[in-house]
Amino acid sequence: MNANLSPLDRLRIERLVWSLDQQLYDLPRASRISTRREVRTNLTDAAREVGVSQAIRNVGSSRELAEGYLTARFGDGPRHSWLAAGVFLMTAMLLTTSFLTEIVLAYARGVSDADPHATGTFSYDGLRYFQTQVTYTFTDGSETHVGGSFGIATWVLLLVGTIFVGRLWRAIPAFRQR
Amino acid sequence: MAEHTHDPQLLKGVLSVLLLHLLAEEESYGYDVVRRLHDVGLTDVLDGTVYPALARLEREGRISARLVASTSGPARKYYRPTAAGYAALAEGIAQWKALVDVVGRRLAQPLDPPSAKGS
Repeated sequence: MNANLSPLDRLRIERLVWSLDQQLYDLPRASRISTRREVRTNLTDAAREVGVSQAIRNVGSSRELAEGYLTARFGDGPRHSWLAAGVFLMTAMLLTTSFLTEIVLAYARGVSDADPHATGTFSYDGLRYFQTQVTYTFTDGSETHVGGSFGIATWVLLLVGTIFVGRLWRAIPAFRQR
Repeated sequence: MAEHTHDPQLLKGVLSVLLLHLLAEEESYGYDVVRRLHDVGLTDVLDGTVYPALARLEREGRISARLVASTSGPARKYYRPTAAGYAALAEGIAQWKALVDVVGRRLAQPLDPPSAKGS
């Protein structure tokens, strides 16, 4: 029972605990930390008794274990995912920023191509409703601009997409029962 | 005790009652519960099944937990039934006995040996 665990044994336990933890992001933080600690303690006790390989086999895959904990917390059936929602939001914001920036720069390039020594102030509506108006200031072909950030329609689409991808309505207990 | 394999689906249905019974008998932590299940002959119940089942019972308010310092490592989470847990245990035992009674009576009836019907 009191066999000491080697550093390698402890690393193998930590690997499983870490892998489990990565799949428990949808649990509340306190619950996730508590689960992680409990699994580590139990695995350590089991490893002292039956060896680390057998202890890890008895726990099963981290994926199945995580599924068990998530089901224990949220019940059977489909559930929301903050992780999926977060990944979607970050990816969508990155792509949208890149796309809208290209639109802003394309207008500036158009002005420069038409007159390489352009001087003055120009306004461009951009992708109407999806980005704010852009104001360019040209001085002998050199350009600076302000504006072009996310418009109301972009924010609405991001919000709707995030809720949809993460199935976030299921985070509301009344909707989870359905 | 003879070693038998047990149908996981059968065990799944009765695991909560078993856990409540073990914890009512003695306050225990996760791996200790697994060990005690193995001691009564349920050697094919895996640790990975028991830990989430304890988490579910705790969420349902049927068991409560407290951390107890350990000399051999970090503090352990010990579980024991709540009042709701004791009520669920009594109900579970009654349901199990009723089921065993009905199924047992049915399965105890002798069957005719397979005949050559239709030949």
